[in-house]
Amino acid sequence: MTAPFPQTAFAPDPEAEDALILVLPKGRILGECGPVLARAGVAPAADYLDDDSRRLRFPTNDPKLDVVRVRPFDVATFVAYGAAQIGICGADVLMEFDYPEIYAPLDLGIGACRVSVAEPAGAASEDSRQWSTVRVATKYPNIARRHFAARGVHAEVVHLNGAMELAPGLGLSRLIVDLVATGGTLKANGLHETEVIAHVTSRLIVNRTALKTKPEQIGAWIARFRAAVGS
Amino acid sequence: MDDQAPPNPALLPAGLRDLLPPDAETEAAGVEAAMAVFAGHAYRRVKPPLLEFEESFVGGSGAAVAEQSFRIMDPDSHRMMVLRADMTPQIARIAATRLAAHPRPLRLSYAGQCVRVRGGGPGTDRQVPQAGIELIGADSAAADAEVMLVAVEALAALGLQRPSLDLTLPTLVPALLENAGMDAATQRILSRALDRKDAAEVARHGAAMAPLLTDLLLAAGPAAPALEALRRANLPATCRDLAGRLADVVGLVQRAAPRLRVTIDPLEFRGFRYHTGIALTLFAPGRHEELGRGGRYFSTDGEPATGITLYADAVLRAAIPRTERPTVFVPAGSDLAVAQTLRAAGFATLGGLDAVTDNTEEARRLRCSHVLVAGEPVPVVNHPSSAADTETDN
Repeated sequence: MTAPFPQTAFAPDPEAEDALILVLPKGRILGECGPVLARAGVAPAADYLDDDSRRLRFPTNDPKLDVVRVRPFDVATFVAYGAAQIGICGADVLMEFDYPEIYAPLDLGIGACRVSVAEPAGAASEDSRQWSTVRVATKYPNIARRHFAARGVHAEVVHLNGAMELAPGLGLSRLIVDLVATGGTLKANGLHETEVIAHVTSRLIVNRTALKTKPEQIGAWIARFRAAVGS
Repeated sequence: MDDQAPPNPALLPAGLRDLLPPDAETEAAGVEAAMAVFAGHAYRRVKPPLLEFEESFVGGSGAAVAEQSFRIMDPDSHRMMVLRADMTPQIARIAATRLAAHPRPLRLSYAGQCVRVRGGGPGTDRQVPQAGIELIGADSAAADAEVMLVAVEALAALGLQRPSLDLTLPTLVPALLENAGMDAATQRILSRALDRKDAAEVARHGAAMAPLLTDLLLAAGPAAPALEALRRANLPATCRDLAGRLADVVGLVQRAAPRLRVTIDPLEFRGFRYHTGIALTLFAPGRHEELGRGGRYFSTDGEPATGITLYADAVLRAAIPRTERPTVFVPAGSDLAVAQTLRAAGFATLGGLDAVTDNTEEARRLRCSHVLVAGEPVPVVNHPSSAADTETDN
């Protein structure tokens, strides 16, 4: 059988709910989340920004809201499975996983970058329409497959978790599909961006069931974040 | 490949499971309790087969579940058969054929197992026990409200007193986009953005529709403000009728069940895509899975119908665990009439097959709650079944 879930369906007082969990992505975006959280009135325990802190779950100034930080790709998973009710997540991650259980009601306008195709700067120019298949190194296998399938090319994906930029030079792949912020890393590794698949920013995401069953609570948080980004 | 270890015999295909004691009994009893409520409202039970011909299943409302269905070839007729992924299309077929001459509205109930190619969400089962009702041949707010209230009563019979009813209008988004004269590509992008409640994308691609769509997107939530937003919205005539029907249904449901939590999500249109009017999903607070789904659809031959299906496994995971029946160890050679009296009093009796030296110890070993001593059931102290079962079997 499945692991037991909390038996909250019979809580005598419907207001006596567990604290909501807000899940944040570690790394690049976390710093940019700070001002948005502050404007939304969320003040997590001070060490949430400290990479060396061993804590993963942090209380906030609101007793009904706790913050957890996980790897950016895991934010979507936590929210999709309902382990966290709200989260901040890059649109790239949402595109890759495409969980139907996640709603993305608000563009926070932070973490702007793009998912792009890049190839070695000196690569012989080829007519990509003639390709049947192309080998692509990426941490976004679904995005890469969809992108090339839409133009009739089968993407043979080499799934890497980092250092994609090395792949073409070492003969691992013809192209890479990766997140590009400034293009500096590409250039430093002799690659150039040939195509932008999507421009992405970070979104406020919520779990579908949580929104259905706690519409007042979740709706209030969406409204606070909406006010915080001034839209 | 032949150097691989032999597969573990306990391994089942993804999404399939064995139900063990006491869960298998709980599920069966739960389904029967729900069916008893359905029968009490004169929904009479039918039992369609597990397999049927692909054309007749997929031809009607089953088209919406075609891609979710396993298929096998019938060696007898050489025609393709479908393993049902949903029972509603089967009930619609029965209503339109074998029960075509029965007076309308026709009320039918059913319970059975369905199998899907993929589960309904992350980590969900592929085999789903369904128990449901269909009300065929009536197109009115009263009919919509009736199935909702009967389903809520069935949940209450299973101990779920505080379900939450989410109402949606699956045809509203397609009608709005169609009415705005948008091209197919934009409709596709917008539909997807609306499905994921991606307000930024809706604003970007919605053009003149953006304010209306954004307004309705934000209206998802408690019934009263959502109905108010629908009233305020400048909807085309067909959509206004739909919104009016929704308000009528909410009124009827809230009058009959004032404490039921009702939410509305006007722009949701997911699920099996055969719904043509108000659709509904049942949730339990604090749970991540749906307890049931239903809504208005056109039955075979275009007959108006509405119905609801409870997912028995999800319902029972949300319900209070049943207390297990006390079991009395009846030593070999005891008076059988005493055991019969105990069974009549609600005990289960476990008969010893051979004489043993210590009956109490034997009762404990076999996880009985009681042992028969001098014709009386005596509780077994520290019997392991309660602790072990609650810790491992959930």
